Amino acid sequence: MKTPRPWLAAALAVLALALAAGPAAAQKKLSFLTWNISDQKDLFDLWIAEFRKLRPDVEVEWLDKKGPEWPAFYQTQVVAGTPPDIINTQGGLWLEYAAAGGLADLTPYLKKDADVRARFNADYLANWTYDGKNYMLPFYVNKTLLFYNKTMFKEAGLAGPPKSFDELVQYAQKMSKGDKSGFLTMNFDWLYWPLFKMNGVELLTPDLKKAAFNTPQAVKVVEALAKATQGGGINKIAWTGRWVEPNGAFAAGNVGMLHAHSPAFFFVRGQAPWINPDTLGAVNAPGGWATPNSHGLGISKGSKNPDIAWEFLKMVTSDKWTLEFSNRRKVLTGNVKSDTATIAAMRKDDPLAAQVLQTQLEQTDKLTGNWRIAVDSRVKEAFYPELQNALLGRKTAKEALDEAERKVNRALARQ
Amino acid sequence: MDHAAAGPALRAPARPGARAGAKRRREAALAWLLLAPALAVFLLYRIIPLGWNAILSLQEWSPFKPAVWVGLDHYREMLTEDPTFWEALANTLWFTASAPVGIAIALGIALLVNTDVRGRDVYRTFVFISYPLMTVAVGIIWRWMLDERVGLFNYALRSVGLIEQPIPFLQSFELALPSVIVANIWQIVGFYMIILLTGLQTIPRNLYEAAAIDGASARQQFFRITLPLLRPSLFLCFVIGVMSSFTSFDLVYVMTNGGPGHSSELLVTYLYKAGFEMTRFDYAAALTVVQFALLVALTWIGNKASGGDAGAVERG
Repeated sequence: MKTPRPWLAAALAVLALALAAGPAAAQKKLSFLTWNISDQKDLFDLWIAEFRKLRPDVEVEWLDKKGPEWPAFYQTQVVAGTPPDIINTQGGLWLEYAAAGGLADLTPYLKKDADVRARFNADYLANWTYDGKNYMLPFYVNKTLLFYNKTMFKEAGLAGPPKSFDELVQYAQKMSKGDKSGFLTMNFDWLYWPLFKMNGVELLTPDLKKAAFNTPQAVKVVEALAKATQGGGINKIAWTGRWVEPNGAFAAGNVGMLHAHSPAFFFVRGQAPWINPDTLGAVNAPGGWATPNSHGLGISKGSKNPDIAWEFLKMVTSDKWTLEFSNRRKVLTGNVKSDTATIAAMRKDDPLAAQVLQTQLEQTDKLTGNWRIAVDSRVKEAFYPELQNALLGRKTAKEALDEAERKVNRALARQ
Repeated sequence: MDHAAAGPALRAPARPGARAGAKRRREAALAWLLLAPALAVFLLYRIIPLGWNAILSLQEWSPFKPAVWVGLDHYREMLTEDPTFWEALANTLWFTASAPVGIAIALGIALLVNTDVRGRDVYRTFVFISYPLMTVAVGIIWRWMLDERVGLFNYALRSVGLIEQPIPFLQSFELALPSVIVANIWQIVGFYMIILLTGLQTIPRNLYEAAAIDGASARQQFFRITLPLLRPSLFLCFVIGVMSSFTSFDLVYVMTNGGPGHSSELLVTYLYKAGFEMTRFDYAAALTVVQFALLVALTWIGNKASGGDAGAVERG
């Protein structure tokens, strides 16, 4: 019988050792998917470095996707069985994932770590609950407010911002002249809904099972908005533009009011040299109603390391790192301590920005447009095109609301 | 006849035939071998997904849930409960119907730049230059050109006094789709022109000379010589036009996102929204099947209309 060659025996021994030791020594890995925030690479590198100090055995991989690419990327990763451990989503997208069992329930973690729960503004934290369970933590928060061009207000003889829907429409018409229009609103992700809510119109019944908006009051609201749109008081871009167009139009100085969320301020100011505390006002919309458009952090149900992912979330939502994030990106994070500190510091350096961000912490009990329904995007898609039909003169308000009601109820019935 | 004597004599000529058969088999095997990588890719990335898509259209499925068989439920919903589908379908057919308009314009330009006009290479370049541009860039350019307040079109129309109030091209239910169609034609017309120009240059000059000697007018030459001999090029343009209309996602997405309402929604943008915005991949799959069937039907009609063999490969 031939004796085995020494080099072969050695190689086999090394392989056996590697196989035995491999799994124990292997690094655990966390993947972290963010939504269009690649400008914060330096900060994320710091987060990862800090986390490596806490957990040297864990490697963190950061991925960022632009808004339109994000859902497609995440969903394909889920289908492939490799969802990113930690995700950052915007608006109501998370609801479908949570309802379908795609996200880990963070409620037990928040119970266990009561100090983490206590960090957050309760209203912003509650924004991420579905069916009584908390699925995400605030990452950075915002809600709609009303910006107004003080120069145009003065020219039109208006003393201050509107206090009711009727005033808002009247003021808009008063400022409309030639190329100038009185009002613009952002329209994606229910950001226009405060216009209905301030008139007492509800989208859905309290049990969220049926449409509730097709009322005489809603018809009046839509008719008033349509009339103001046809008359030039409301700029048509309010109902057709997305982000760049409405902000660009307001930045041009030809629009009296802009109903948008706080990030719009920084975009507009970057394009509008006319903006200063004497020319721009920022207040809560009439009635104090606002639609949040916050970003949250959650853990995929398919994560292989949910506990480690929670440790990472705890770290990045700590006072230290939320303050750092706020300073770098001029956003609020929902962390009460760091948001208070951010605004206090901003009052000295940038009082107008501080005024804008202050509105984001006021009346947080009056958030609307954030219904906890699994088919949020389908309801949105059923309602908004019909609203456009009425506002841009293709249908009467009643016809459009009737059709929207049928479509919304159909979408709700299919969930 | 002595078959025994004839046997060897009959078998002898069979040898070259058998050799030829073996050679043909070897050549065929080589051809299949060379085609195999391309066919494998085609199978993997086209045929299998197509089949899976068809199966998906008969299921209730989302990335987070196991599939449940629902048969033709999505098709029933599409045909009987979804007005957006019908609007998107009508818009898609309008968009497709614009392909011949683009081809006609391209043919006119190709005929012009095929003459001995001075600077024709410059004209050809100018017409073609829009084609290599990224469609997203084309969409952005046209969106700003058609803007109600700062757009070039409104500025020009107001400057010459044709209009008093700016036209909201992309905010109008009536004008949004035509605006996107114009942008689409603008982009693709240069490509059609190159195809047709190539076709024109393959037509032998002596045919025109002979026709001229026989007294044929320019019009007769165009209808009796140019058009019939351009048929393969025209068919190619038609197929490209139909396919580009059916898949013109980026232009619509950038210019109007299907709005206002669904007035410029195409099937391709609607199925994207169904899949990635409403997380209804199953319904999007059913929309895709319908779109695919329509595309095949239109291409078949185009082929029939051009004589039934426009795409045939000539045998030497």
